[in-house]
Amino acid sequence: MALTTEVDDAARETELEELGGSKAARKPYWLVRAISIVLILALWEVVGRQVSPLFMSYPSAIARAAVQLTASGELWGAFLSSMETLTLGFLLATIAGVLLGLLIGRYRYVDAATDWLVNALYSTPLVAITPLVVLWFGLGFSAKLFIVFILAIFPVLINTASGVRNVPSQLIDVGNAFAASEREIFAKVILPASLPYMMTGIRLGIGRAIIGMVVAEFFTAINGLGALIIKYGNQFETAAMFVPILCLMLMGVVYTAIAIRFEHWVAPWRHTEDE
Amino acid sequence: MKQIDVATTASVPNRAGEAPRLSVSNVCKAFRIRKGASQPAALLQVLKSISFEVYNNEIVSLIGESGCGKTTLLRIIQGLIHHDSGTLLVEGQPVTGPGRDRGFVFQQPSLLPWRTAQENVEFGLELQRMSATDRAARARKLLQLVGLGDAAEQFPHQLSGGMQQRVGLARALAIEPALLLMDEPFSALDAQTREVLQKELLRIQAETHKTIVFVTHDLDEALYLSDRIIVLGARPGGVKEIIEVPFGSNRPELPLLRGDPRFQALRSRIWELISNRPTL
Repeated sequence: MALTTEVDDAARETELEELGGSKAARKPYWLVRAISIVLILALWEVVGRQVSPLFMSYPSAIARAAVQLTASGELWGAFLSSMETLTLGFLLATIAGVLLGLLIGRYRYVDAATDWLVNALYSTPLVAITPLVVLWFGLGFSAKLFIVFILAIFPVLINTASGVRNVPSQLIDVGNAFAASEREIFAKVILPASLPYMMTGIRLGIGRAIIGMVVAEFFTAINGLGALIIKYGNQFETAAMFVPILCLMLMGVVYTAIAIRFEHWVAPWRHTEDE
Repeated sequence: MKQIDVATTASVPNRAGEAPRLSVSNVCKAFRIRKGASQPAALLQVLKSISFEVYNNEIVSLIGESGCGKTTLLRIIQGLIHHDSGTLLVEGQPVTGPGRDRGFVFQQPSLLPWRTAQENVEFGLELQRMSATDRAARARKLLQLVGLGDAAEQFPHQLSGGMQQRVGLARALAIEPALLLMDEPFSALDAQTREVLQKELLRIQAETHKTIVFVTHDLDEALYLSDRIIVLGARPGGVKEIIEVPFGSNRPELPLLRGDPRFQALRSRIWELISNRPTL
C-alpha cells in the first residue's frame, strides 16, 4: 500500500513515453525527407547541365567521375592518407584536450594561468598559422598532424573544463559527505558527471579536425583528399573535384553520427532528460 | 533570549549514565558577509552556543524558521562545514571532518545519475573498499528495507521523487552509520508521498534502531517523527527549548495523531517559540 502512489506515477510516465514514441514513429518524416532528397538532386542535375562543366558539375557526372577515381585507386589512396592524419591527430587532440580540460576545470590556479591563452588561441582562426607550421615541420605528415591537433584540441579542452565546472555541487557534496578523497571524488563523481560535456567537445572537435586536415593538405599538397581537390581544381576537372569533397562530407557525417551514438551510450540519463 | 540549560532538559531518567551518541556543546558558527566590494565585511552569527545531546535509538528533530541555521548545524555535525568554536563528539570522538560513522540524507535526493539504484546504494561501500559481492548483497538488502527491492536496476531518472529519496536513505544506511543525519529529506515531495515516507521512516527506524537527527521546518513532521524536538531561535540560532514528545514508539498515524490534544498543545507551543509571537 505504501508504494501505490509512487508506482502509479512511474507507470503513468512510462506509458506516456511509449505513446509519444510510437506516435512519432508513425508520422512519415522519412518520406518527406526522401522526397526532398530526390527533388534537390533532380534540380541540381537539370540546372547543372545548363552550366559550363568548368564552373559547375551535376550528380550524374560526379557519379561517373567517382567510379573512375575509385577504379584507378587514386581516391582510395587519398582517403586512407587523409584518414591516417585525421584519426591520429584527432586522437592526440582528444587525449590532451581531456587531460588539460580536467585540470583547468578543477583547479582555479591552473585556470587562471591558462585561460587567457586558451581564449586567445581558440578565438584565433588557427588555419592562419599554417604557413608557419609548414616552416616548422616541413611539408610532411607531422605538419598535417600538428594542424589537425591544434584545431581539434580547443573544443575538447574547453567543453571538458566547463563540464568539470558544471558538476552539480550537490553531487560533490555527496562525495564529501561519504568522506571520499579528492582522487575518489575525481574518479567517481567529476569524471562521469562531465563525460557528456567531453563528448560534446569531441563531436565539435571532429568538424574542426576535418577542416584542419583539408587546409593542411591544401598547403602541403602531396597526398590526401585535400591534394586531390587542388589537383582536379587546377585541371578544371570540376566533376572529379567534387568526388573528394563529397568524401569529406561523408567522413564528417559518419564521424559525427558515431560521436552522437557514443554520447547517448555514455550518458543515457542526459538523453532522456532532454526529452 | 531564554536559553534553557541543556543538562537539565536532556537528563531524562532512563538516559542517566548512558553515553550520548552525539554530543554538541557550545558550538558557534559565523559567516563573513560582504554587501558590496567597498563595504567592510560584516559578521553574521548563524549559530550561538548550541548544546544538546542525542542518545542511542532516538529520533531528534531540529526545527526552526528558515535561516535559523538548522541545516548549517547538520552540515557541521556531518563535517561538511567547520564550526568556529565548541565541541562536537560522535560516540565520544571529536568531529574534525566528514566521516563514515555518520550517514547523510540530502534535501534533494542527489543520486549519481549514471548509477543504477543499487550502484548508488553501493557508493559508500565502494569507498570502504568492500568486495563487489558483499556490496551487492548489502545494497539489495537495503533496497528491500526501503521498499525498492524491485527497482535495483533502475536509473534515478526512471524513479519518482519519493523513490529517489528512498534510494538516498538506503545509501546513507548502507555504511551502517552510528548516526543518521537527514536534512529536510521530505520537503521537496508532494504531501501524499511525504506522509507515506514519514511512516516508512518510523518503520525503518524501528527495524534498524538507528539514531537519527532530522532537520525540518514542518511542525507536524517533527511531532510525528521525533522523540525530542530541539527548537532553534533565529539570528543567531540558539537552542530555545528542547521538547520531549510523549507519544512513544507505537504512535498512531499522523492524521489520527493530529486529533490528540497533547499534539495540538505541543504544536502551538513550538509555533509560539519559533515565531516569537503569542499563540493565536
